[in-house]
Amino acid sequence: MFYMILAVAIFAITYILIMTEWINKMTAALLGGFLVVVTGAISQGKAYQAVDWNVIFLLIGMMMVMGVLKQTGVFQYIAIKVAKFARAKPLYILLLMFSVTALVSAFLDNVTTVMILVPIALLIASELKITPIPYIITMAIASNIGGTATIIGDPPNVMIGSATQYSFMDFIYHLTPAIVIVMVFSLVLTWLFFHKGMRVTNENRARLMNYKEDNLIANKKLLRRSLIVVTLMLVAFLFQDKLHLAISTIAMVSGLILLLFSNRKRVENFLAHDIDWATIFFFIGLFIIVGSLIETGFINLVSNKIMAVSSGDLRKTSVIILWFSGIFSAFIDNVPFVATMIPLIKSIGTHFPAQAMHPVWWALSLGACLGGNGTLIGASANIVSVGLAHKNGFSISFLDFTKIGVFYMLLSLVLSTAYILVRYF
Amino acid sequence: MHLISYLDPRDIRIEQRILTKQQVYQQMVETICHNHPLPVCGNELLELILQRDQESATAYPSGLAIPHIRMDGFKDTVVGMTFLQNPIDINGFSINWVVLIITDKTSSKLYLNMVSALLALSKDKETVQALSAAQDGHGVMQQLKHLDVEIKKDLTIADIMVKDPVSVRPDAFLRELSDLMNERVTSVLPVTDAQGTYLGDVTILNFLKVGVPNYMMMIDNLNFLLSFEPLEHLFEKLDEVRVSEIMVEDDVFLRPEASIIEAVSEMIKHEKRYMSVVDKGKLVGVVTAMDIFRKVIQA
Repeated sequence: MFYMILAVAIFAITYILIMTEWINKMTAALLGGFLVVVTGAISQGKAYQAVDWNVIFLLIGMMMVMGVLKQTGVFQYIAIKVAKFARAKPLYILLLMFSVTALVSAFLDNVTTVMILVPIALLIASELKITPIPYIITMAIASNIGGTATIIGDPPNVMIGSATQYSFMDFIYHLTPAIVIVMVFSLVLTWLFFHKGMRVTNENRARLMNYKEDNLIANKKLLRRSLIVVTLMLVAFLFQDKLHLAISTIAMVSGLILLLFSNRKRVENFLAHDIDWATIFFFIGLFIIVGSLIETGFINLVSNKIMAVSSGDLRKTSVIILWFSGIFSAFIDNVPFVATMIPLIKSIGTHFPAQAMHPVWWALSLGACLGGNGTLIGASANIVSVGLAHKNGFSISFLDFTKIGVFYMLLSLVLSTAYILVRYF
Repeated sequence: MHLISYLDPRDIRIEQRILTKQQVYQQMVETICHNHPLPVCGNELLELILQRDQESATAYPSGLAIPHIRMDGFKDTVVGMTFLQNPIDINGFSINWVVLIITDKTSSKLYLNMVSALLALSKDKETVQALSAAQDGHGVMQQLKHLDVEIKKDLTIADIMVKDPVSVRPDAFLRELSDLMNERVTSVLPVTDAQGTYLGDVTILNFLKVGVPNYMMMIDNLNFLLSFEPLEHLFEKLDEVRVSEIMVEDDVFLRPEASIIEAVSEMIKHEKRYMSVVDKGKLVGVVTAMDIFRKVIQA
């Protein structure tokens, strides 16, 4: 009992530190993680076992793949192609960029996606002499929506996939349809928000149509090789069950092959810039802290309480988890939240057949990922996009973002609720 | 170490005749070769000195000329001096004191320290007058002994830096900065306040960056943009943005007593070819990698 209180106290303090960002969140998580070991709330051996290496290596592997793919210039090439395809009409560009961002984000981390695509939107807006703010806000939102579609699109999905043995294909089968529905309605919402007052002169349009985007692909050989490796990786993801390989292994092998293609000898630069070690260590710290909550019996205690309250009704439980995760994630980082929820849902799952638990897991993913659109601080992609705008002289306040984002969040949570209720009950 | 430890009264001459530069050098070579066994001597040595003279200037505005030869395998330092009653012209300077230094290939530090001691001495007109009024070599030695000219053991940044450099105030507008850089043909300037306190550096790249929107820096390559209006941003901002907004604050700097090796390693570490020299918070000089190259490596 003493250790349980101790673990919960360390967990709570760490959570507050992460929420308030009073200290760096990686430092907070690692400090909390090793503190539970030092105080004996979890044994040394159990602490290291609590780290989900599948998640860690999937993150590192995907960071390597992205790092090389980014070098090829292919994403910025696509963005400019899309702008030209829209014949430089601002509303079409807005809707197409929304879709492209979501699509790219389904395979890339959300923050990386906006860091690659928002600069292009800023450039296009500057050429068209229009404000980039609608583009920046909607692209951040699209990256959060798109990221929910696949197991590799957003860290909460990576964690859920790893903890539950759901395969890449399971995510496509269960989550992607929900995201397609959310995307269609979100595009309509985007049109409603912004279709008025987007006018540009023909001269400014002509400037954009003049771009020689083919020049962006500097190294065609690297691009060709990268696309082959990425295709093979996606195929391997699809047949993950038959290959009997962890998704992290497939990602690491793909990442390492790409690393070899991009530079056979020098990796220092790559290790320093393309692999986000702070995120990796943040996860490791969280896994250890949450491990101590499991070890000390706290998670079991809470799950029994939830079972008592919901009287074992998974329908009710799914909807509560969806909305609770959504609203919670609108204000705090969804990674520690999901890290805590996973053992809790696992514990609840011991009372039910695995089949019956599907909607609960998908509710967690949809809520945690889509909830990030609720406020400016709900997701890292929002903060990064607004930061980029600010650096270029366009300020977007908390309210500016939130009064748009909250509609997307409410819309997606309503649609997700409907999806879960119709499909699983 | 004292300067006189390197001198031999037999190598010091007071010359009353009117001679050409070549004649002066020839005479010094003869004297030195007569007094010391050198690996290379006679006309061969004279040729070397003249050739060297052409490659890099040896004359200083204070009236001192220091021709210098580094000889392979000569494990010593020999110094010859001639005071000229009738000055000669070297590179446009009126020279009344010629010091010929012959050293080993490896002892550049000693040479540089000797040069800096002699240079300091040559700036004192009265002393030079008194020295050239001496009877002979012994007389000169006597006076130098009195003056107690010390040769510093180690070369420091203070010896090679440019003293009292131009600096710019943090509240100056970019227009002033750009005019100053243009006028002085420099790509970097230290920033100081009215009291001369060092605040940081501002480089031409900091300046040009004002013309490049931040988002462009995040696009991997810009070769698809054929007709972006070049740096139009910059012209609009010349009278808007101040130096303080673009300068690198609290940049790395050197102390005047820093050694050459410290300066070079700092430059390499921070990828800076230019460093401000700061003493007790005040800017006292600037030194560039080129200064070190010219004054130490190629000296």
